Amino acid sequence: MKEAEHVIEVENLTKRYGALLAVNDISFNVKKNEVFALLGPNGAGKTTTVEIIDTIRLPTSGIVRLLGMDVTKKKHAIVPRIGVLPQGFSSFDKITVRETLQYYSRLFSRKNADIDGLIDLVNLKDKTNEHYKNLSGGLQQRLGIAIALVNDPEVVFLDEPTTGLDPRARREVWDVLLSLKKKGTTVFLTTHYMEEAELLADTVAIISKGKIIAMGSPGELIERNANYLLITLQLADEQAFEIVRKMGFEPVHDNHKSIKVRVEQTDDVQKILTAIKDAGMSLLTLDVRKPNLEEVFLKLTGEALHDNQVGERGAK
Amino acid sequence: MNLRIVGANLFVTLMSIYREKTTMFFTLAFPIILILLFGTIFMSQDNVNFHLSVQDLDQSESSAKSIETLGHNGKFKITKVDPAINALQYVKDNKANLVLVIPKGFETALMRRMMHKDLTASVTVTYFYDPSSSSVPTKMEILNGVLAGLNQEMTGIPPFIKSVQKSILTKKYRFIEFFIPGIIAMAVMTLSLFGTVYLNTELRQKGIIRKLCTTPITRTDWILSHMLYQFIIALVSTTVMLVVSYAVFHVNLHLNAWLPAFILLDVFAFVGIGMILTRFVKESQSAAAAANAISFPIMFLSGSFFPIELMPGFLQTIAKTLPLYYVNEGLRASMIFQDNMAALRDSAVIGVFAAIVFILGIIATKWEEGK
Repeated sequence: MKEAEHVIEVENLTKRYGALLAVNDISFNVKKNEVFALLGPNGAGKTTTVEIIDTIRLPTSGIVRLLGMDVTKKKHAIVPRIGVLPQGFSSFDKITVRETLQYYSRLFSRKNADIDGLIDLVNLKDKTNEHYKNLSGGLQQRLGIAIALVNDPEVVFLDEPTTGLDPRARREVWDVLLSLKKKGTTVFLTTHYMEEAELLADTVAIISKGKIIAMGSPGELIERNANYLLITLQLADEQAFEIVRKMGFEPVHDNHKSIKVRVEQTDDVQKILTAIKDAGMSLLTLDVRKPNLEEVFLKLTGEALHDNQVGERGAK
Repeated sequence: MNLRIVGANLFVTLMSIYREKTTMFFTLAFPIILILLFGTIFMSQDNVNFHLSVQDLDQSESSAKSIETLGHNGKFKITKVDPAINALQYVKDNKANLVLVIPKGFETALMRRMMHKDLTASVTVTYFYDPSSSSVPTKMEILNGVLAGLNQEMTGIPPFIKSVQKSILTKKYRFIEFFIPGIIAMAVMTLSLFGTVYLNTELRQKGIIRKLCTTPITRTDWILSHMLYQFIIALVSTTVMLVVSYAVFHVNLHLNAWLPAFILLDVFAFVGIGMILTRFVKESQSAAAAANAISFPIMFLSGSFFPIELMPGFLQTIAKTLPLYYVNEGLRASMIFQDNMAALRDSAVIGVFAAIVFILGIIATKWEEGK
């Protein structure tokens, strides 16, 4: 059965807003039980794509099947089987955490919804009688995730679940998402945080300007697009830069008076260290690491993944 | 339609307003303030006392008697102005907006006319007035009436045409009793219109509508629960208004099944208008401005505060095209006059209007984003 293999099938999906082409003829599939991340900067078309799949928006053209059904024709059959955390989620200010979950469980006609279990899952046990308005940004998002799970959905859509949260709140949301992953829930996640995609996703699709430009597991994407090592050296002597350059590498200075060198082979690391030692220079710090998705994205698109202008919603 | 979903949604909206104490207070307080304010102003409208300044230059027994007669009319509270003062300056100094000046020679002329039947004998009283004052025309009208009566009496001939006033009502109604149904209609209109516009734009701006779009709640469930919510709020508000009216002004209004019927139709009509408005105005602030722009002219033109007969003819024609006019008329027909036929006619008009705008409102309410 096709549904067992792919819970989401997207074929030649296009979405236009007047003259703006938000999503440009994209195709991909999402397998059951996997965490699929759509990774891209703001304005890349992530939210438009997810909102078409989870039935909020209609596509301009293309076919999208969710759980084997056409999203444009079978909304009423699809909706009870999915859970959605929309971008910029918000709820009724003066309704408590428990009442909010009860409200949504009634909308799904779930008489026996495990409200306490959901509260435990998102770690809101000591906030059950707190009004939504009084929750911090991170707690509000965790409640949003619990709401998305209230109908025990087969697929969960989380549209930028950690955008605007401070690092601590973000990690708390990640803990919840990791427990979902552990349970084998199929999750469709959009994010512009590379660490989030790398930490949570089985499959990552990188989207830029409405086009999917690469797709695979985080390891595959890095292997395929950034098969090198990054060395960061901090030295007391500035002559080290010249020594590395004369060896045929292309060192660059970074902001912290360190040298960054990209090398293709593991042996090159040893060669550089030996050359520095032979020149009688002392090494203060050394960092050798594989590239991450940020660098993959940079290489593929030539633009930065992060928008540093994004405000952060801290704990209240 | 799923009644469990309608109930769940109704609970959330009711709890939201119940816990928002300030909103709850002002929702109920606004019409109460209007009732108390206007009720107090017009409570003794039948015994309105205008201040009338009179300067008696004649200082005679006859002139004093005439001034006394003016006071007996019951409409005036007389203030005597010193004959030595310049009456024109007195008005200019804003000490009074109208001064009636009885000239010197008043008694002499009166004697000539009464005793010697000298028809050439007459006196001219002068009004010094400030035309910018709104009460002056009414005062002059009453004064002219009193003077005409005096003139007629002095002829000694009984009047040819007499008039008798016979009200169709067994009991005369007071202004406050005219006013309360109008305020109920107006309050229900503003609650429904602003409530719909505010709730829809607020929930849309906050993204709650987008979230609801991914749940099994349908537009029909949502609209029905919103309707019930507005109806409950309108009933609570009306009950509070009536309690205050009975307690403070001892009104005598008839409460019957027409009252909830007209409230329901009022809610339907203005929730419908609110839903149409929300389709075109996206931000909650501009939506409130648009709701104001619609509700204020309707409020004043529909006869909520005063009878439309006081307005120019063309405005009366406009008033009769407004939905609130029929709610006002219908409520007054049932609550004051107990006229079931008139209430039925008015309910039919507002019913048809409400059905049309409500259907248009449902069509206008859109959750999913288009292609």
